[in-house]
Amino acid sequence: MRSYSSKSSMTNSGAARGRELCLRRYRSVSLCLIFLVAVGVGATRADAAPLDEAAERYRSYIIEDIGRALAGARTLREYVGARDLSGAKQAWIDARAGWERSEVFTSGFAPDLDEKIDAWPDASSGFHAIEARLFGADVVNVEEQTDALILHLAELDAEIRHIALTPQGLLNGITRLAYEVGESKVDGGESRFSGTSLDDMRNNVDGIALAYRTVFATALEASDPKLAAAIQNYIEELRKVLDVSDLKRVDPAKLRVLSEELVVALQGSAQKIGLARPTLEEPLPR
Amino acid sequence: MLVQRLLCGAVLCLWLILPFGNAGAFPVTGDQSVLPAGTELNEEALDQPSERFHSEAVGGRKSYLVNLGDLAFSSPDILGEVARKAGVNCSTCHVNGVSNARLFVPGLSSRPGTFDTTGALFNPKADNGIFDAVTIPSLRGARYLAPYGHNGRTASLRDFVRDVIVGEFAGPEPSPAILDAIVAYIQDIDFLPNPSLGPAGKLTANASEAERRGETLFARPFPHDPVLSCAGCHVPSGAFVDHLQHDVGSGGLFKTPTLLNADFNAPYFHDGRYDTFDQVVAHFDRVFALGLPSQDRADLVAYLKAVGDGMRPYERDGITAKLKEADDFASVLDTAIPAHDGEVIQLAVSTVGRELRELAEQFPDRRDTAVVGGREQRRVARTALKELVLSLRRVGVAASAERFDEAEAEYRKYCNLIFAAVPTLLKTAEPWSLFSPPVHDSHYAAMRQLLKESKKQPH
Repeated sequence: MRSYSSKSSMTNSGAARGRELCLRRYRSVSLCLIFLVAVGVGATRADAAPLDEAAERYRSYIIEDIGRALAGARTLREYVGARDLSGAKQAWIDARAGWERSEVFTSGFAPDLDEKIDAWPDASSGFHAIEARLFGADVVNVEEQTDALILHLAELDAEIRHIALTPQGLLNGITRLAYEVGESKVDGGESRFSGTSLDDMRNNVDGIALAYRTVFATALEASDPKLAAAIQNYIEELRKVLDVSDLKRVDPAKLRVLSEELVVALQGSAQKIGLARPTLEEPLPR
Repeated sequence: MLVQRLLCGAVLCLWLILPFGNAGAFPVTGDQSVLPAGTELNEEALDQPSERFHSEAVGGRKSYLVNLGDLAFSSPDILGEVARKAGVNCSTCHVNGVSNARLFVPGLSSRPGTFDTTGALFNPKADNGIFDAVTIPSLRGARYLAPYGHNGRTASLRDFVRDVIVGEFAGPEPSPAILDAIVAYIQDIDFLPNPSLGPAGKLTANASEAERRGETLFARPFPHDPVLSCAGCHVPSGAFVDHLQHDVGSGGLFKTPTLLNADFNAPYFHDGRYDTFDQVVAHFDRVFALGLPSQDRADLVAYLKAVGDGMRPYERDGITAKLKEADDFASVLDTAIPAHDGEVIQLAVSTVGRELRELAEQFPDRRDTAVVGGREQRRVARTALKELVLSLRRVGVAASAERFDEAEAEYRKYCNLIFAAVPTLLKTAEPWSLFSPPVHDSHYAAMRQLLKESKKQPH
């Protein structure tokens, strides 16, 4: 780390940093423990019973989106069987749209399936393995991968009908996805072969907007209308930034600022609606 | 266009057959990036050029200005729209102030390590209609190496930096403070120490016989033009330069490049036409009819290698190096927040946040099935870095609203995290990060396989 001298030119805040350095050996262990709690290892859900009904209402939307992904995958399989490349490509895009809208939910509530369906980089299974061959190599011999995708989406489709949807888990999902939207896509993004990374991002924002509006907006408007309006505004601004003809026209700096400011606002909202601070990474599969 | 496609194809083919070891990298693919397909930035290399600062080498510390300059040098925000969208910054080409020998941008590079600064991509207004790529220079010792530019067109480093930002990369006019800072940063980058050289650039007693013979040949007048010699232009006592331009048969007048640390600056000549000192010596032998026997050539090459050497030219990239850089960059906030300097605060928030986001990606998430083990450690490391990014964003939000006390308080929280808790968490996760060679290789092998699957097969 940076060495600190005792020169008088050091600013007050610099001195504070210096003192922190002196203490860090003694504090690092305890700070690690505090941090681990803060990042979710020991986080517990606060009482948020009024949100439970709203979370349950959100289930129907997830069922719809995963259903769309599954239907798209099945259509994809038909086109693959018929050796219809252009039809297969369109079916992949349709399936992908439903999936990306669901990411608010999938990464946190079904991490095992999320990993199998959306692995990256992975040439053997999942959406992107199929994408590389369909859109990159222009070949349709993806029967095996498509069958596996259908199987995993069908599992998810069954799971979401009875899985316990917690408001805390959904707030975590919204927050994580809001952060992810701000990631650099300078390399073309994950869906670079199909050129649909921009669609992925738009669908992510739609998913965030839907979950926020369905589950949290009413409660937050009641407790902190100003913050609720700010969150709504960030979501709308994100949509505007992504309302361009292709990924190359997206302003990445503006996108990142909005993404991070939305995350900060969502973190600030948790306490106002009786929830714990949202985590920024998915829990590991149990 | 045809040339561009061929170059692009050549690079992709080369990349596909190269062993994917520690020097592995991943080129831009597809048509969704502002950078042309086939662009290679070599940002994934595990070994990075080491950066030696004069202020630290003499027992001091880098000044606020040097850190601010380093920060700006690493920020796309000071450049034009295309560079910002591409995430390109000064250090993309000058990695830690040293030439990026593997950088290749189809249409702008004639070969790796070269770049056409008057091409259309980054500033169409600067496009001169000529494909005239030049080597990316190292900035080590730049304070001794005026004038600047391969043709020595600009006497002042400050003017040169301004021209790169505004002229070549279409950036907004930089503030005087930012310009001063970048100049201070560049001027603080030292040559690497070279134990082979003593005072006045003479070889030390440890030199080999071949190197000594080469030193003598280096100073010997050219047989057909006795006023000339190698040492006449590459003045050993003056950083091996004479600050003048010469025509050495390479297509015009170009300034004398330094030979110090030149072992690490290939390719050579203004256009990067030569890969080795052997080729360089052969060029001078031919152009100036030196009539060098093979032994003399070998001795000159031995001497050039001795002069061009440097201690610890590369260092392994990792958590410690990345956190030190982030810390140095963020340190400008020590001064900028109390001074209510909004421009510097936002530059730091943006640039450090971006660096920390990139650092988080060094800890693959669980969807990266090529990486096995350390899942919880990686998860915690990613979370910690994201918390830092958001902490900085809160600094930026508070400063934008001119709530500088709040910005100061948030910055203290950031310091607490990055000095105390985060290093331990990241070090714990490092064995499963892309800084670990086996993990690095596994991850990029999966990327390579995916790219291979996406290639059209010949019918």
